[in-house]
Order: sequence, then C-alpha cells, then structure tokens
Amino acid sequence: MTQTNRGGETLGFGFDDDLEYYDDAPPAGPPAVLRAPTPVAGLPQARPSFAPPRARTPERPSTLRSADVDSPFFDLFGGPAPTPRQPAQPVPAQPRQPPSNLPAVVPARVPVAPAPARVPAREPLPAQPRRGGKGAPVRAGDRPIHRDRDPVAELALTEIAGHLTFTRVMVTAWYWLPEVRWAFRPDLDREAMIVAMSEQYAGLAGFRLHLRRTTRPFAADDWARTLDQNTPQPLPDVAGAPSWGDHLVGAQRHLLSLSHAEGQTYLGISFARRTLGDTLAERFGRKGSGGAERKRWARMVEQFDEVLGSFGMRGRRVTPAELEWLLYRSVALGMSPPRLVSALGLPQWGKGDLLALTEQVERFRSPYGATTRLVNRLTGEERHVAVLTVGRMEPLEIPQRHEPWLHFHERLPFPMEISSRVDVLGPGDSFRNLEHRLRMIRSQQLDYAEHGMDAPPELERLAQRALVLGDEMTTGLPVDSTRAHGWHRLAVSGTTREECLERTRRVIQTYQRDLRISLQHPKGQDALAREFVPGEPLASTGYLRRMPVKLLAAAVPQAASTVGDRRGDLIGRTSGTSRRPVFLDLHFPMEVRERSGLAVFVAEPGGGKSTLLGALGYLASRRGVQVTLLDPSGPLARLTQMPELRPFSRVLNLTGSEQGTLAPYALIPTPQREHYVDGPAGEQEWGIAVSNARAERRMLVQDICSMLLPPQVSREASTATFLRHAVRGVPAEETSTLDDIITHLQAAGDAPAVELGHLLLDTAEMPLAMLFFGSPPPGILADQAVLTVITMAGLRLPDLKIEREYWSAEEQLALPMLHTAHRLAVRRSYGGPISSRKLVGLDEAHFMEGWRSGRSFLVRLARDSRKWNLAALVASQNPRDILGLDVQNLVSTVFVGRIAEDAEVAAEALRLLRVPVDDGYEAVLASLSQVDAASHERLGFREFVMRDVDGRVQKVRIDVSWVPDLLSYLDTTPSVPGSGSGADPAGGHPTPVSSPPTSAAPALPSPTSARPASAPPYPARPASAPPARGFGSGD
Amino acid sequence: MRLRTDDDIYRARLVYLGPPGYTLPFQLPYAQYGVFLLLVPLYMGIHYLFTFRFDPVPAWEIALSMVTTSVIWRYVDPDRPARTVIRTALTDWRRTGNAALAQEQRLPRLVAGKVTIRERLP
Repeated sequence: MTQTNRGGETLGFGFDDDLEYYDDAPPAGPPAVLRAPTPVAGLPQARPSFAPPRARTPERPSTLRSADVDSPFFDLFGGPAPTPRQPAQPVPAQPRQPPSNLPAVVPARVPVAPAPARVPAREPLPAQPRRGGKGAPVRAGDRPIHRDRDPVAELALTEIAGHLTFTRVMVTAWYWLPEVRWAFRPDLDREAMIVAMSEQYAGLAGFRLHLRRTTRPFAADDWARTLDQNTPQPLPDVAGAPSWGDHLVGAQRHLLSLSHAEGQTYLGISFARRTLGDTLAERFGRKGSGGAERKRWARMVEQFDEVLGSFGMRGRRVTPAELEWLLYRSVALGMSPPRLVSALGLPQWGKGDLLALTEQVERFRSPYGATTRLVNRLTGEERHVAVLTVGRMEPLEIPQRHEPWLHFHERLPFPMEISSRVDVLGPGDSFRNLEHRLRMIRSQQLDYAEHGMDAPPELERLAQRALVLGDEMTTGLPVDSTRAHGWHRLAVSGTTREECLERTRRVIQTYQRDLRISLQHPKGQDALAREFVPGEPLASTGYLRRMPVKLLAAAVPQAASTVGDRRGDLIGRTSGTSRRPVFLDLHFPMEVRERSGLAVFVAEPGGGKSTLLGALGYLASRRGVQVTLLDPSGPLARLTQMPELRPFSRVLNLTGSEQGTLAPYALIPTPQREHYVDGPAGEQEWGIAVSNARAERRMLVQDICSMLLPPQVSREASTATFLRHAVRGVPAEETSTLDDIITHLQAAGDAPAVELGHLLLDTAEMPLAMLFFGSPPPGILADQAVLTVITMAGLRLPDLKIEREYWSAEEQLALPMLHTAHRLAVRRSYGGPISSRKLVGLDEAHFMEGWRSGRSFLVRLARDSRKWNLAALVASQNPRDILGLDVQNLVSTVFVGRIAEDAEVAAEALRLLRVPVDDGYEAVLASLSQVDAASHERLGFREFVMRDVDGRVQKVRIDVSWVPDLLSYLDTTPSVPGSGSGADPAGGHPTPVSSPPTSAAPALPSPTSARPASAPPYPARPASAPPARGFGSGD
Repeated sequence: MRLRTDDDIYRARLVYLGPPGYTLPFQLPYAQYGVFLLLVPLYMGIHYLFTFRFDPVPAWEIALSMVTTSVIWRYVDPDRPARTVIRTALTDWRRTGNAALAQEQRLPRLVAGKVTIRERLP
C-alpha cells in the first residue's frame, strides 16, 4: 500500500488544476466545468440600477464547497452514487440550488439522491486485496467476498523522497523544466538557448536521463472562475437571451471540445546505484531509503541544481505531488484524470491515492498488436495507446528551418506523451566509442583489401566522417564532443483502436513530411508503453539514436506558445507550433502590468480587423465594461440588436445627428480638479493639464478649420497664420464654438482673414458640416448604455492615395468628421468614474495620420488609458500609420493580420510587433488566413500575429464561434440578398431580413431615446438562420 | 545551426569475408554467425531430448540453424536488434492475422502499491 510521510500536516496537492476532467474527445456527459461559477466574497454586490439586480448566491463557507464531493474518487464511478463507507451525516436528498446568475441549469453530475455523505477527504482507503500484497492485516468482517485475482505487477519504483525516486538499484533526481518561449524570437536568441541547454546536458555526462513530457488538461473551470471573479458587474441577464452563466458555460464547452492541453516537462537524472546494504535493508524491514543514504547523495544533487537551474532549462526540483501526478499519467497513458478533483479547486489527493488511482488501470495487449488497450475498470474509460519511436533522422536546421523536433508534435490537435531515455557520454566515452567504431570500419576495409575485393565506397566516407568527428571531439569544447545516445518515444492515444491508428498515421506523416524524421511503430507495444513510467526498464535497445548534445537540446520539448493572459475572454487559440487557448483582458495591461491600454490592429482590407474589434467589444460589454465603438462604415451597429445587448446599447449615427454634435471645442474635456491629488502639487498638475487641454483644443480647431477649407486655400501660409490668430483670440474652453472663430476672422478687418471667414461660413451651409458648428446638444453622450456604436452610415470615405483637390465635397467633409468622431468616441469615456473599466474601439484610424492633432490624440489616448482605465483599440490598414505617429512605444497589445501585398508594409508590421525583420517572418504574415484556392467557400476564420503586453508574440486564430449568433451579427462581408448574411452588398449596411424581434426586454431609464431616428432598424438575426462565416474555428 | 546524428557511422555494414587467403562465396554480418553458433547447440540439445544421443555430424541441426538465422535476419536491421526480433517471435509467433486481435491478453496491472512517499528530504 502506498505510504506517505507528510508530517501530519494537511498538504495541498500543489497543482489543483492539474487534475480536472480531461479528454481529447468531446465529453459525452456534462463536463465538470459546467458547474456554476462561484461568487466571490468582497465583490460589490451592486448591480446597475436600470435592471433587476443579478441575484448572486450568497457566499458559502469554504467547507460547503466540497459538500457534494468528499473523495477524489466519487465521480470516477459513472453510475449511481457509491455507498458511503462511513455515513457520518446523512444529507437530505435535495439538489444544490444553482445560483441564478450562473449557467443555467446544468444537471449536476453528482447524483441527486441520495447525496453522498461526507467522508473525511484524507481518510485512507481500505487496503485493496491484492495478490502478494503486504498491507495491514484485513479484519475478518472487512474481508471481500471475491478476491481480485487479476495479475498485478508492482512498479519498479519503491520510494519518492522529495524530488528523488528510488528503485531497488537506482536513485533518480527529478527536475521540472518550465516552458520556454520559442516562436517569433530572433534566431540568435534561440541558438543561444539551445547552446545553453546543450551545455547543461553536457554537464550531466555519465548519467542516464529520463525526459518526460506529459500533458495537463486545460483548467477551463478555473479560468471561468477567474473570469467571473474579475467581472464584478456583468451585464444583467435579459429574458430569452443567454445569461452571463450561459456565456461562461459556452466558453468552457468550447474549450473542452477543442481539447486544449498544456505540456509539462520533467527531467530525471539517474545518478547513483544503490549499495547492497541499502537494498537489503530496505528489503528486510526498513521502509524506504535511510537517512544516511539520502545524505550521501545530497552534495551531488546540489550540483544538479546548479547545472539545471541556470539559463537554458532553468529547471527546479519537482515536488512529490508532481511526481505522483507523473506516475499516474504514465501508468494511465492518455487517460482522463479524475474528474472532480479540481472541479472544486481543492487538494484532494491524499494517502493511498496513488495506489488507488493506478490500480484501476487494466492493460491488454494483442499478439503483434499495434496498440495497447488501457481500461479504467471503475469508470469504464477505454484508451488505445500506440507508442512510436524515433527512427532515422535527416539533418535538421534548427532554428532556421525546422521546429524543435520534440515540440513539433504539439501542432497536432491531440495531446501526446513523450519519453526519452538518454545516456549522456562525456568527451572521453564519446571518443572511445567513436574510435572503436572507426577501427571496425578500417578493419573491414583492410579485410576487403586482403581478399582483393573493392570495398563499398560508403566505408571510406563513414571513416572520413568518423575522423572529422574524432577531430572535433579532441580539439573542440566539451559541449561539442559530448554525445547523447538515447531512445525517444511518443505515445499517441485514442478512444478506439481505429482513432488511435489514424492519429498515429497523422503523426508519422507530419514528422516525415516536415522534419524528415522517420517515426517507427514497433512491436512489443506493452513494454514500450511501460517505459514511460519512471523507474521502469528500457523496453528495447533498438532504435538507438546517437547524436551530439546540441541536437538533443534542439529537441526543446518544453517549448511553448502561450500568449495572452489567463483572466480575460476567450478569443481563440494559438495556431503556430501548438494549440493553446488565447485569453485577452484588455484591462490587464492597466490594472496589473501598469502599462498603457493602447492596442493596435493592423491588417489588409478583409483581414478581419473590424470583426475582431466588434467581437472584443461584445465580450467586454458582456462583462459590464462601458464600450464605445466607432465604426464609420456601420456594420458593427448590428451588435446592438443582439438580444442580450439590446436593452443596454444604442447606435449614434453621426450623419443624422444634430448640429454641434462634433463641435471641436467640446470634444476635449476639461480636467477635473477632483481627479488630482490634494495639495499644491496636485493643484499645479491640474493647472498644467488644463493648459494642455486648451492647447490641444486650439490644435484640433486649427486642424479642423484647415480640413474644412478648400485644399488650395488651406495650403497657403497666410491661412495658417490667420487661423492661428483667430484660434488664439477665442477662449479655448469647452463652451466655445467654430462660430466664434468665424466671428473673430470677420472682425479682424484684414481682407484675407475675412475671406477665410466667408469660406468657413460657406462650408457651414452644407448639411453635414452643421455638425461642427454651434454648441453640442446637451447630454449627447451622458447615458448609461453599456455599448454605444457610433457610425457614419452613408458617408463616403476618401481614398488617401488621391490628392485632396480631387476629393468630392462629401469626401472632404469625411476627413474632419472622422477626426472629430474619434474624439467624440473617447470623450464619452471621460464622463464616468475614473477607475471604472472603459473600452473604446476606433476603426479607420489611418485617417489620423498627417495631422498634428492626430498624433496628439493617440498620445493622449495612450497616456490617459492607464489613468482612466481605458482600453483603446485602434484599427488601421497600414502599420505605417501607427509608426508614423511615433506612438509604438505606448502600444501594449498588437494584432497584425494578413499582409501579403507589400513586403515593406510587412516589415513595418514586424517592427510594430517588435519581431526581427529579414528573418523570414514576413512570410508568416503573408501566410496568415490563407485561402484554399481550390475551395469556393468563404474562409471560416482569420489569423493574426498577436503581441501581448508581456512581449510574447504568437500566431493566433481568432475563434468566437462559441458565442451564439455573434458571427451572424458581426458578418461584415457583403453578400447576395437572401443568402442569409443580412448585409447589404451595396453599402455594407444591414438590411432588414425579418420582423423586429418581439422579445420583451428591460428598458433603460437613461435616455434611450437618444437613438437617432435615422438609425437603421437592424433586426436581430433569426436564431434558426445558418451561422454566417466569420471567426469560426475553421477546423 | 545544422545538426545531424552520428547514426550513419554506426550503420556501416560489417561482414565476414572469410579466413585469410580464402574468400567465402557469401558475405554475412558477424552477428549472423554468432546467432548461427548459438542456434546449432540449441537444436542439438533439442535433438538430444528426443533421442538421448548426440549426432557426431549434426547436419539437420546445422541446416535448421541456417534457416532460422536467415529467417531472423529478414527482420533485423541496425534499428531492430536480433534480440528484439527473437523476443517478439517468442511471444507472438503463434498468433497472426485478424484472429490474433481477438486473442487479447490481459497484462498485469501496474500498481504503485509499494511506493513510499516522503514529502521532503531530511
């Protein structure tokens, strides 16, 4: 029986999220994560006053969290609840009341009646009857009726002590290798890392290593809980629309269906043979290793710490709990971990659990079988495991051309396990080994000569290569002469034999095609599968790969491609060398990293910027963030018609707005004294901010006036002078208007100035120009709508490549409208509390380039974003627009979509991403969102290269298909009327496709009437309509 | 960084050409002779179990050993040592084809029954 010596303290398992439900096939039953997210104590209970407060479940004592689970094994029983061994407190047969805010009603996986009674979590399991077992004597009353006569093989491992494991003969020290960032790093960095790792491997010469890579199912429930905790005031639920709980459940279901798994890499160093005395003492009486024996190895173990802890692998000692996890994952290769262990996030493994969890796993083999079948006899789960071994390898160019060869498998959409047993030979051993081989080759050549036969030319070639290698070994650095002779295995699993073999074929083909590594599928699968278990012997000496340590280091099984934070909304997955979910909280940079909240989106037209902008706006709105989206072309306005958003959102169509809506003086808010600290320092700071705001107003007014004037006039030097004088003469306060400028010009007495005033007056007569003149209508943006979409429906945007002289009058007006509309969108964010979360999405930001006020706007936005907790998303078609404004240092998050037309633009996009240029990454940008030329379907996904606030860069595939109907509402692609996309092919404006929705929804007490009458009636897409193609998974 | 294995050096085909002054008409790997020399006494032993006498000229044994060696070497290559081939043959040779899949054998369960766990080193 497994024995533990944990000092009597209640020890956590240490990695609670390691043990939750996992399966790479979609779960048949309701997954554990469908559990409702738990409310968090201390969070404000207040809800928006305009809707019924979301009833949250009162905080439950922490002990109650495990009320329905008291043993890690309960849910391992698929059927009815197991009869409690010690019915301590009968629990009334009533299901747990789900909180009303949480996923709607997912039937609890724990059987309803009778509820299992609590059993102390740490209670040791009764001794399992086992042939040859030496556990405590079993009392007569507890004796099972039927003995378990299945054959049992004890693991070779006898003890886990700290990070050391003991078998009868060997001692092994285990280290955890943290993940390292690989993608989009300069080749020099990656080479430096490989060299550092190879030096570390060279430092382990003389020992046998066991490199194990296992996977941890992604803790979707933990993520959902974190997201819920970080969302104190989600959008109130609307009858008939998915609730906040449904929203979280949908994301978790999606995560589970994609079987995201995170890798964990362990390195074991078998460094000492146990003495006969120690082995005999353990066999006859002593439990485990002795203190003297462990102290004997302490010094050597410290050397391992030193070697592995430095740059390169940065390994750390594993904990016994991690080793137990590794043992379990190795015995139950590819099988699901116990489901409910981490569903509650509580440490549940205890004394005897390792035995209990390993002994359930039955193993079956068939003669010449291609797989080994594993069956969990308690849950009935069945897995077929095929173990592949690395055969011939062609030369690899890592990192220039090839991916790390033991990381490469992660690009496939199912998790695999890796086990490598490696003997590291130091320079002396390597040279002796090679010299012996050279002598044999020379002897063979001599034999041919003595027998008067022509020796095969390969012998001479191999002898020459051996000579060169020998020369490198004797004259080179130790790291060049050290060799790694090892056996490398990959375990592929599937729920059926056919699925397993199909996956095996895919792995073999992928490795053969892209890496030119021949993976072999040998016989004796059961022994090979057993080789994955720490301490078990090598299955076969075949397929021994002899390589320099640099090639072993270039395997980099711990390479990772994580990007984003783990507390934001699910926006997709990485699509580079591995598949990991990508979460993005746009307020993470400000709230945690204390950085600016400016995020930039760059892509060619059709690259998916607007849709991504809309998706992020939707997700933020669901979390109760005040969102303002500026979408000049208008399709994002359909978001406001989504049932869950409709009561809390509105559309502001500028083309139909009242006079003065875009009055430039009023667009720049006056700093408020209460937002600055008390005292003289705060007073001075506030004074400076007020002056800056005035200066910015003058700059904006001058630019707007220049835009309103004919280009021939505005280009003259005297125009700028007169405008400057006029602007200086008018108080730069919010209450001033452009009419004051005209008055000032006309009163100047100078003929050219008067003429300028007349020209501005002429402009003011145009219907759209009325937006700039006069005072803004009161309360235009002072509403409580969570989502506001500002559009300029019907406005024709100019082509910036054409000279301004050739623009039509409407196009000329579009330029100042866009400038001021950007200001208007941001202006709304300054109206609320300074610390509340706000998000502004600005499309078509490239119109800001070339104007002083444009750069000052973005700089101000970036600087204010932290203070005002404002996430600012800026979309542009060309990275040059952002680089030209010189604000790239203030950018925290970057999305770059497909850029295939122009190599220079791609290089600039890479600069924006801070990725080395001319390293071949331009081709990556060109390959994003690549269309299959043979297909007539629309591309179902969009890809971006994303750089997060921590500087990690990765290729991501945006996938928001898990939000019901979101893609339908976000579909910005024009299509033929009646095809179901709901978009007007002419102008991209939505066309009514059905009668307005009739679902009753709570109304806003705030001025919902602010929705202009000219706003087009955007109907909700019927639920039965086929989903539009957009950012689906594309899988 | 171009990286390659050293495997080709170890994959050189080393064959026995014959004693000095005489070239055998066939060239076989040294290991094949080793297996042959192991198989001959094995077959002689089996023959002895049936007849209780040693044949001074073990012609049948030599012939059988040659055939067996030849069969084994059809499956042996640098990545698949003779030991593995023989072991697989001993466990699985009797069962081939689809029928073999039905003849699933239960393997002993791997149980961590005697693993002592200490939280930390003293």
